[in-house]
Amino acid sequence: MGDSMKQDFPILSRKVNGKTLVYLDNAATTQKPNCVIDAMSEFYSLSNANVHRAVHTLAGEATEGYEECRVLLKQRYNASRVVITSGTTEAINLVARSWGEFNLHAGDVVVLTEMEHHSDIVPWQMLAERKAIELRYVPVFEGKLDMDAFNVALDGAKLVCVVHTSNVLGIRNPIEEIVTSSKKVGAKVLLDAAQAVPHEMIDFKELGADFMAFSAHKMCGPTGIGALLISDAAFDEMKPFMGGGDMIETVTLQGSTYQSNEHKFEAGTPRIAEGVGWAAALEWISKIDLESHHKRLISIASKVKDQLIEKGMTVYSSLGPRDAAVISFTHPTIHPEDFARLLDAQGIAVRTGHHCAQPLMDKLGVSGTIRASFYLYNDASDAEAFISGIDRVLEAMS
Amino acid sequence: MTWSASIQEIIDEFQEIEEQFERLEVLMDFSDEVEELSVEEWTEVNLVRGCQSVAHIEVEIADGTVWMKAAADAKIVQGLQGILSIAVNGSTPDQVLSLTPKFAEEAGILNSLTPSRSNGFRTMFDMVQNEVRRFNQ
Repeated sequence: MGDSMKQDFPILSRKVNGKTLVYLDNAATTQKPNCVIDAMSEFYSLSNANVHRAVHTLAGEATEGYEECRVLLKQRYNASRVVITSGTTEAINLVARSWGEFNLHAGDVVVLTEMEHHSDIVPWQMLAERKAIELRYVPVFEGKLDMDAFNVALDGAKLVCVVHTSNVLGIRNPIEEIVTSSKKVGAKVLLDAAQAVPHEMIDFKELGADFMAFSAHKMCGPTGIGALLISDAAFDEMKPFMGGGDMIETVTLQGSTYQSNEHKFEAGTPRIAEGVGWAAALEWISKIDLESHHKRLISIASKVKDQLIEKGMTVYSSLGPRDAAVISFTHPTIHPEDFARLLDAQGIAVRTGHHCAQPLMDKLGVSGTIRASFYLYNDASDAEAFISGIDRVLEAMS
Repeated sequence: MTWSASIQEIIDEFQEIEEQFERLEVLMDFSDEVEELSVEEWTEVNLVRGCQSVAHIEVEIADGTVWMKAAADAKIVQGLQGILSIAVNGSTPDQVLSLTPKFAEEAGILNSLTPSRSNGFRTMFDMVQNEVRRFNQ
């Protein structure tokens, strides 16, 4: 199944160090299908113009192409408010600046977890410095969120910020339970869904969260663009923090008024070609049965995990049925960087390091891991090449 | 560029290797060339910044020649330190300051000498030269 899909991705036929590329760094970014590359190229070749204001033909085409992305996002995730951002990081910072700044006060509690990506820790630490809010971190126990500790931490919480699916472990947190419990205490919920939307469909309204942040590039779209889905209730409590063109209704020398819709959070010229590219990616992915691919990838990754354990590796990913197909592992003596370089020499791309999750690394007791992450176009041949590559590394380092 | 005999020997050895994996294997063998900096001597000052692995380099000038000691937890970085040791150890400060890191690129050990892609080599090379400059002042 993955093999036929590979034909849609030109980069997957290139050679790296003389070998056909085996791309297993999908949790960092995914590759782009021809339709996305073509859409962006076509936009720059035929329709490039700035959006929203001009009346000429190109501007109209550019506006339609860009806004199509927002329309598709609203449809796909059942969200009435979608702010286009530069990615997950900006989306979370937008919540901190445009909601947190105006709705959190000294002593208010924000619940985070030890599993968060730095992009869902640092903005809150910065806000805590400015507003003297209290940050509570839910611990990770045996690779999972400690839900008993979560329920204790909820007491008095105004905001809960949780990673839906971990970029390090691939584990999918019990998001439905987290949202329900948070709502019971009246807390708003922000989901970092960067690693979730590539793997599963999410109905934002049905889930009941207030904010959901994610990036296009982890679901075969372009880099530099992402989205923040916002509930109507939370949207009404937000104020713009970045001023400039495109977000205003009127400007006089005495003051300005802002647009009432999502545009008030999108100052300046947006990422137009990227929006067009993301729209193409959303159309492409809408034709794919994510659920069956997910089962296939978890099956492939589980076999790889078993083999890694047999070969003496410590694997930190549990690869449950709803987790992402991400395998984080270490070897008792071989440094992750050596592993990655020696795999790269065989054309195999994996990630090493702390994966922007140093608190989780501290919890796991390691400075970094090697991470192989699978996506739609990966298949059993990639898994075989990866295991052969691992064997060669082990032989060389023995 | 004309290199010293020891550096030219490294370039020749690596240029004979066609496969990148084998090149890295040979590179790791150069870790034997490092005079090891013991853990007790690791400091914030001699820490190599911007490396994924933990790496340290200490430079000394004794009797008019430069000597370096080094350590790293990744074998490939140790190999790079070994090559740097061959290039540097026993040279005069002026010889070290006239070196360029391009020999690593010419040998095919590194595809790029940009700091972010050189696996710490460029940073380590700059550290050695900066230390020599400091001694010279």
